[in-house]
Formats: sequence, C-alpha cells, structure tokens
Amino acid sequence: MIFQAKQKVKEGKVVKVEVDCEKFIKDIKITGDFFIHPEEILDEIEQSIIGLERSASIETITSNIKSRIADMDIQMISISPESIALLIREALI
Amino acid sequence: MKWRVVELETHDAYLNMALDEAVSEDIMNGSSPPTIRFYTWKPGAVSIGYFQSMKDEVNLDTCRELGIDCIRRWTGGGAVYHDAKGEITYSLIAPASLFPKNIIKSYEMICGWIVNGLKTLGIDAVFSPVNDVLVGGKKISGSAQTRREGILLQHGTVLFDLDLVTMFSVLNVSKQKFSDKMIKSAEERVTSIIKQIDVDKKDVYDALLRSFTEDKDFEYGAWSMKEMFRAKELARLKYKTDKWMFSR
Repeated sequence: MIFQAKQKVKEGKVVKVEVDCEKFIKDIKITGDFFIHPEEILDEIEQSIIGLERSASIETITSNIKSRIADMDIQMISISPESIALLIREALI
Repeated sequence: MKWRVVELETHDAYLNMALDEAVSEDIMNGSSPPTIRFYTWKPGAVSIGYFQSMKDEVNLDTCRELGIDCIRRWTGGGAVYHDAKGEITYSLIAPASLFPKNIIKSYEMICGWIVNGLKTLGIDAVFSPVNDVLVGGKKISGSAQTRREGILLQHGTVLFDLDLVTMFSVLNVSKQKFSDKMIKSAEERVTSIIKQIDVDKKDVYDALLRSFTEDKDFEYGAWSMKEMFRAKELARLKYKTDKWMFSR
C-alpha cells in the first residue's frame, strides 16, 4: 500500500514522501526542491528507511538516517533527517 | 588561474545541461580551464531539480502542445520555466577549492556577482540565502549548485522578462485552477529586469559579463571538439532519456 505526505518542512522547502508499506516499509521515494551534497546520499537515506516497521517512531527513523550518513562528508540544505522522519510518520498515520 | 569565458549562446535544454557536465568532466581530468558561460534556451524549457519528480512538477501535455522541452537538472532546487526570450542563464564550472566549502557562503559569493551586475544597471538587488537574488523582496534570480569529484558547478537564471501565463501552464504549481489570483500572487513574489528599468537585454548581459569577470584573469573561448562531442553524447544518452528524466 502506498502512503503519501507532502509539506513545507521547517527548513523551508517542500518535501514529499511516498512510502510503500505493509507491516514493514518496502520502498520509499523522497522528492522536493531541497539540496543534498553529494546528491547520491539521498539513495542512502532512502535505503536506511527500508525495512523499518510501519510503527517506527520519529526518533527511530531519524536515528537510522543519521547512522547511515554519520561518517560521510555531506551538507543538507533546507531539509534534515528529522524533517524526513516527521514526514514519513505523518504519511504512515 | 586563467578562466575561460564562453559568450552568450543558444542551445536546447539537453545540450545546455550536457555542456555543464561535459565541461565538469574535463576540468576534473585537467583538460579544460575553469569556465563561465552565458546562454539562453531554444526552444523554451522547464527544468526540474535533481530530487524532483517530473510528473509531479510539470504539465507534460501542455509542454508538448507548446513545444517546450522538459529536462531534469544535475543540480537540486526547484522547477524553473526557462523562457526562450525572457532570461539570461549562466553556469560557472570550476575547482571547488576556489570557493568556500560552506555551500551557502559559496552561493553568496557567486550570487554576489549577479547582485553587483544588477547594481551597475541601477537595480538595488540583494542576495537572499539559500540561493536567490531579490529586488524589493521579490525574486529576480535563482541558482543551483552541485559539487562532484572536486568540481563546483553552479548555474542560475536572471529574469529579464516574465511570461507568467506560460509559466503557470507548464508548471504544476498548484492543484488550484489557473486563475488571475495566482498571477497576482506570483507578481508579488517574482520580478524581472524590465519591471525594474527600461533596458536592452544586451546591456544586462554586458553588465553580468563585467561583474562575473571582474578581478579575474580570463580569456574568451569556445568549446573544444572533445567537450562538444561529449556534451552531445550526454544529451542523447542521458538527459533526453526517460530513465534520467523520470527517475524520481
């Protein structure tokens, strides 16, 4: 089943998540007019969310994203792990 | 370090974006100099950011009807309608080591050249983080940047004239019905050079050219055969493909 949420996140850009989820998250697509450097990190972020339970908390989702990108030299502009987690949680309500 | 400046030229969307990538590759391997280029788009085009969805952002049927190209950029940011006559676009491609590591500071530096160029025309422009230039609180220029393999690419547009009717017909800006209210609302947020002053596009280009090259060692140049060959290859094998355009 596909769940969606779209909103202007607190960092300022419009972000949309599309989550394919039954009991666990099977796939996710994050889109929007934000910036992440290097850009390919978004694939890593999406991968870090796949496999989480549908009931995963904002803290768990945030922590998964952060630990996946912890040692990478990245800059996220107008988006953050917390904002992505909040939006996923909203989609999965 | 000597810069190459490629003067105002016109290409379609695919070659315009492919040239940026081809030049990045050749700066990376040491065969091209840091480059500043100015260009326009023919036919007009809609470009979307790297992380955007073409189907969400663009009215593809209207683009087809109007003969407007659609392209996904190599850079993040938002969807832009590039009117064939209404804007001047620039790209700067150079080693990232020449710019602040902090992305917003590097936007400030490069967008500062736009601000200075507009000021010489008597337009009181200011940089607005992350990546915009405003006049009287309204956007007149937007830019987007990527850094790959030590190379910084920043491209952006300066709005010379606005065709809001076409812009709203090709962008899925809202699920609301297209209306005069939307136009009015956009006019409160976006402006253009000719809404500010009576000036020829050529004079705007000259002002930007002067401000981008000020204090730089540079020479005017053209694309090498290798760059152009690679750009045409990237246009065909990457930027025109559904795999690239609809990948998000």
